[in-house]
Formats: sequence, C-alpha cells, structure tokens
Amino acid sequence: MRARHLVAALAAFALGIAALAIASAHPDVTLGGASVAANVALAAAGWALAAAGIVAWVTRPAGSCGPLLTLAGLAWFASELANPAVDSSVAFTLGLVTFAVCPAIVAHAALAYPGGRLASWPERAAVAVAYAGTVGVQGLAAAAVYEPSRQGCSECPDNLVAVASDAGLLDALNRAGVRLGVAWAVALIGVAVWRLARASSAARLLTAPVLVPLIAYLGLVAAGYVHSLGRGYVSNDAVDERLWIGQAVALIALSAGVVLAWVRGRRARTAVTRLVLELAEAPVPGGLRAALAGALADPELEVAYPLTDGGWVDAAGRPVDPAAAPGRATTPLMRGGQAVALLVHRAELLDDPGLVEEVSRAARLALEHERLEAELRAQLEQLRASRARTVEAGDAERRRLERDLHDGAQQRLVVLSLALRLLREQLGPGAADRIDAADAELRAALEDLRALGRGIYPAVLEAEGLAAAIGALAEEAAVPIATGALPRERLAAAVEAAAYFLVAEVVKRARASAVRVAATLERERLLVEVTASGTLDDELIDLGDRIGALDGRLRIDREPDRVAIRAEVPCAS
Amino acid sequence: MRVVIADDEMLLHEGLARLLTDAGVEVAGKAANVPELMRAVRLSRPDVAIVDIRMPPTHTEEGLVAAQQIRTEHAGVGVLVLSHHLESIYAMRLIEEHPQGVGYLLKERVSNIAVLADGLQRIAEGECVIDPTIVSRLVRRPREDSPLTALTDREREVLEQIAEGRSNAAIGQRLYLSPKTVETHIHQIFQKLGLGDEPDSNRRVLAVLAFLRE
Repeated sequence: MRARHLVAALAAFALGIAALAIASAHPDVTLGGASVAANVALAAAGWALAAAGIVAWVTRPAGSCGPLLTLAGLAWFASELANPAVDSSVAFTLGLVTFAVCPAIVAHAALAYPGGRLASWPERAAVAVAYAGTVGVQGLAAAAVYEPSRQGCSECPDNLVAVASDAGLLDALNRAGVRLGVAWAVALIGVAVWRLARASSAARLLTAPVLVPLIAYLGLVAAGYVHSLGRGYVSNDAVDERLWIGQAVALIALSAGVVLAWVRGRRARTAVTRLVLELAEAPVPGGLRAALAGALADPELEVAYPLTDGGWVDAAGRPVDPAAAPGRATTPLMRGGQAVALLVHRAELLDDPGLVEEVSRAARLALEHERLEAELRAQLEQLRASRARTVEAGDAERRRLERDLHDGAQQRLVVLSLALRLLREQLGPGAADRIDAADAELRAALEDLRALGRGIYPAVLEAEGLAAAIGALAEEAAVPIATGALPRERLAAAVEAAAYFLVAEVVKRARASAVRVAATLERERLLVEVTASGTLDDELIDLGDRIGALDGRLRIDREPDRVAIRAEVPCAS
Repeated sequence: MRVVIADDEMLLHEGLARLLTDAGVEVAGKAANVPELMRAVRLSRPDVAIVDIRMPPTHTEEGLVAAQQIRTEHAGVGVLVLSHHLESIYAMRLIEEHPQGVGYLLKERVSNIAVLADGLQRIAEGECVIDPTIVSRLVRRPREDSPLTALTDREREVLEQIAEGRSNAAIGQRLYLSPKTVETHIHQIFQKLGLGDEPDSNRRVLAVLAFLRE
C-alpha cells in the first residue's frame, strides 16, 4: 500500500461523508437522502467500490482496473454534489458534469477486469458511447446551457461551465441523454453477456462474480433511463429511488466479487510461491514441474524450455513437442519479452493473467536455473547422440574390415597355400623344403590375419552374440577368464560391442592372474562386471567413450591387487 | 571315396578338386551355394560333402545349416565343414545334433592332403573329426585351478585325441599304445575330470569338448 492508495482511500472516505451530509441536508433533490435505507445504500456502495478498487490497485498495480473502480466509487458519491446544499461552486459544477458518469466507469472497470484492458472493439465502442452520453451530453453539454439562478434555483452555487441559459436546449439535451442512456446501457449489457457466454469455464469462474453484478447493475441503470424516457430527464421519484437502491446492492455485490477473486487468487499464489521457495533449497530436474503441478492442481502439467535452435526440451533435456493436445493449453512465461518457459497445462487453468504473472515472478529463479540446466542437458544429449553415431559408424567399419579380411586376404592365402602344394607335387622332392618353408610362413601370416580380424570385430560377436564372444575370448586369452552369468539373448549390436570390448580391453591390459566376467540384464540395463586379480595398465578412455555414447556408466575401483570394473548400459531390447 | 565340394571361391574349388583327384578321391560334384550343394548331394550320393562354412547369401554360417540338413536328410552322406573360425563354438554347433559322420577343419587344411584324406576317411566311416588346432587351443588355454593339471602328459595326449574325435583303436595306433592301455588311460581321464561314464567315441567327443569349453 503506497501513498496514492492511501490518498484515494481518504478521498473516498471524505467524499462519502460529504455526500451523506449533502444528501441529508437537501433530501428532496437527491436519491441518497430520502431515507435511512438510501443513506446506507449511498455510503455502502461508494465505499465498497472504492475499497475493492484499492484492493485491485494494490494487488495488480499494472492494470487500470483498480484505479477505475476507485474512481467509480468517487463518481458514485459525486452525483450528490449537484445539490443546492453544496456551497462550493467547484463542487457543484463537478456534480453537474459527472452526476451520471458512474455506470460508464463501473462498466469500463468491470469489462476490463481482470487484465485492465478492454479486449474487443465492441466493448471499447460501448464504453466510449457511455462516457460520451454521460459526461458529454448529460454532463458538460447540459451544464453549458444551464444557469441555475436563471432557471429556478436561486440558492444553488454558480455553475462554472455555463456559457448560456437555454431551457429549450437543456430539455433537448436531457432527452437526448436519456435516450442515449437506454442505448449504451443495453449495448453494455450485450457485450457483458457476450463476454460471459464466450469465456472458458475457468475464466468464467474468475469474471462471473464481477460481470453478473455488472449486468444486474446496468439492467437497473437501463430501467432508470427507460423510466425517464417519458419526462425527458433523470429524476428521483419513488421508482427511481427503488431502482437506485437496487443499483447500490448490485455495486456492493460487484465489489465483493473483485475481493473474492483476489482472495482466491491469493490462495493459489501462496501455494505456488511456497512450493517454489521449497524448491529453491534443493532444485532437482523435474522438481519445478512437480511443484507447479501440485500448486496449480494439474498433475499432468508440463514445463518446456526453449532452445536457441527453436526446439523445446523438458527439464531433463529431452525434446518435447509443446503443441497443445486436446483439452490442454500452453502458456508462455515471459521475461524481458522472451519466453523463458512454456507451461503445458489443463485448458483454462491459467486464464487469470495475474496468476501467470505471479507464477513467472515467483518461479523465475528456479525456472531460469532449470532452463539453463535443460539446455545443458539437451546439448549433452546431442553430444551423446553424436558420439553414439561415431561409435556406430566405427563399428560398422570394423565389421566391414573384418569381413574383407576374412573373405579377401584369408581366402587368398588359403588358395595360395593350395597352389604351393600343387607346385610342390609338380616340382618334385628337390623344391619340397623351400616350398614347405614358404607354406609355413603363409600359415603364420594366416594366423596373424585371423588374430587381427578378431581384434577388429570378432565375427562370433556379430553372429552369435555376447556370451559366445566372451566364451571365444576365454579360449584365446593369455589370462584365465572365468565367466559367470552371461545373457543368452541377443542385445542391440552397440550394447553387445560395448560390453565385449570392455571385457576384451581389460583382458588385454590387465596384468592379472585371473579375470572374472559376469553380465546380467536388470530392468532394461545390461550390468557388466569385470574383476581382474591384479593391476590394470591404462585408463580405459575409449571404453568410457563407447559406454558414454550409450548413456551408460563406467566405474573402476582400484585396490592394490584387484581392479573391479562395473559398467551399466541401458538396453531397451 | 567320392566327394562333392561346396565353396564359392572358384580358385580354391579348382585347386582342391585337383589335389583330391591326385590323391585318388573322386570329385563327383561341385557347388557354389546351398541349393546347388543339396542338388549335388542328392544326385551323386557322395561319401562326404566338403562344405565351406561361409556361403551366399549372407556369408556367415550357411555351411553349418546345410551340414545339419545333409546329415538329417541323407544318413549315408558325411559332411566336412571347412572354416576360418578357430572358435570352438562353431564346431560344437556342428556336432551337437549329429556327432557322427561330421567334421570341422580349419580351411588351411586343404593344402595338407594327408590330414584332409584322413579326415575324409574317418568321416566316411561315421566318426567325428575336430581340428587339432581347435582342440589344442582348448586344452592349453589358461585356467585357474585347472582340473587338467591332475592328468599325466600321456593322459593329456589321449584327451586331445578323444576331443579330435578318434576311436580307441585309432588312438592306440597314433600313440603306439595297446587297446588295453588306451582303455585304462581313458578310464583314468574320465575319473579325474569327473566326467562319469565313457559313452561311445562320438558322444564322448561332445562331453569332452563341453568340459574343455567351460
């Protein structure tokens, strides 16, 4: 609450007291002075409007709704000022100009509620006509041709805006004002009903407590104008008075609606704020989502973060499609004109722009933190995918090489060996020794090629799978390999390769008396455990790459005479 | 002895055929793929079909599958699978279902006509032939607390002969042992390794290989 709110409150209070005094002093020309009920209606409606206006003003400083409602409260009292009992000509003139404007301001404030702006051109047009009719025609124009002293009110103060005294023109202007009053009142009822009918159910929940009293109020205003059509000016007979008390009741209801919405919104916001504060203490990916989902009572609520390339990711950095599904809506949370996050939520949940703003503001730090984290995760994921593609391309190349060796070089060497054999038969015993020596070389070359092919990418891994390949490894290794449980089923080639090369590398690099190998499938993860009774020469960097590319984890525990390697690789097979 | 040769490598095909013919083996048919092989086997009824493990279309294990098919459909036809793979799993796969009249030799044996002819002969007689290199790899592979250390050198030799698929008589011949001594050795080996009874010479190949692969 700032000084201007306090000034407005004091002004409303003072003006209310003044209006009561004026009305009581000269009850015959007022509506608010005729009875105790009228007194109460006068004070209650004006103060209620002003109070609701100040509440809205304080809680939504950006919107024009609060000031407008406060002004409406003042205008409600101002209609009492055009009273002979007023001794200030400024106040009297103000009363003459503004006595009819209250409905226009109330309609303006209520239609602009809660955002603070009139949303459509029919609303703007109807409000503009209402202002023109009340302040323009009934107020300024009529006052301009009204000289109270010459037109039967000798005790009235001076009318400061009078330029002429023309009873005929005044009558014409009054009639025009009344007819126009019927027109704009009906038009405003129309746009209010239209607004209510078209609103989503959540928006209706928010605006109905304000719009329904507005419609009632405008209906009574319209009835008053219709009642005045015959006589050609607004007055204060018994019918007018009853209608006017009705208007006061409607305005009190409208004010209560504004306060009610504020109380309800405050409750939701408090929940949001509290949860976000809790979050700030221990931020975890997805935590904000859960917190907002809880606070806004939408369990399916999602938070998406924008990437620089235009894509969207969730808190874990996974790409998401923010297109709204049926029954879901998206609301961007803005900061500095840029969307920092997108809430995908139940349609209608966030129709209250004040709540969205509140969520953005309260969750800003957490959102920013999570957005950066999500961006980082997305980049990591892209990096991982790229690494996976590199490893995959490398494996494909390895397999091709192994096949080429097998079907090409090895095969040729066998043919060559065969040819040597035939040559040996032809040349007879003289050349036998030399040919046998060449043949021995050839066999050694064949042996080397075979080992090379196995090292590049064992055919048995591709053809028979992990268990068979580790079995084959145990047949050729220089270190005893004891195998525990191994998965019999086939897994994705990249997973099998990662597990196999892990074991093969450890076997190759370990200076150990024995190596134990076991691999199990647990909840869509392949768990590989290799234990070497001895030491391991190098870091297993390229293996970390292979396993990292699959989003897996590698852990190496070194003890003086024992190295335990544990790899976990996701495999949705 | 009549054979058919299935190998999609033309040069190897020709050379092997010449070498076998020179050694007095009749080459009754040649095939470059599995359907041709099956037709050749059906038409020429050879004693043994020599089959490359890799054949079109995928060049992986077509030869093994064809071998099983031949053993199932033509009881009188033995199969010798030639392969570049040293890994014992392929040999195991071959003899698992039909341990009689089949053989698995490394491809380079084609230029060693003595080994080849011996293998063909044994397969034709219904024995089982496993490449000595594969067997010796299995026997010599490093083991923790190896039960093989309980064997004498001679018993170890006999074990290898068993794993290569030789009958008692053949083992006796090769190691210059009397049939009685061979039987004693085999009894000892099976006891020491905890292998239970000694089934016929073909079934026991499976048992010994499975033991060595563990």
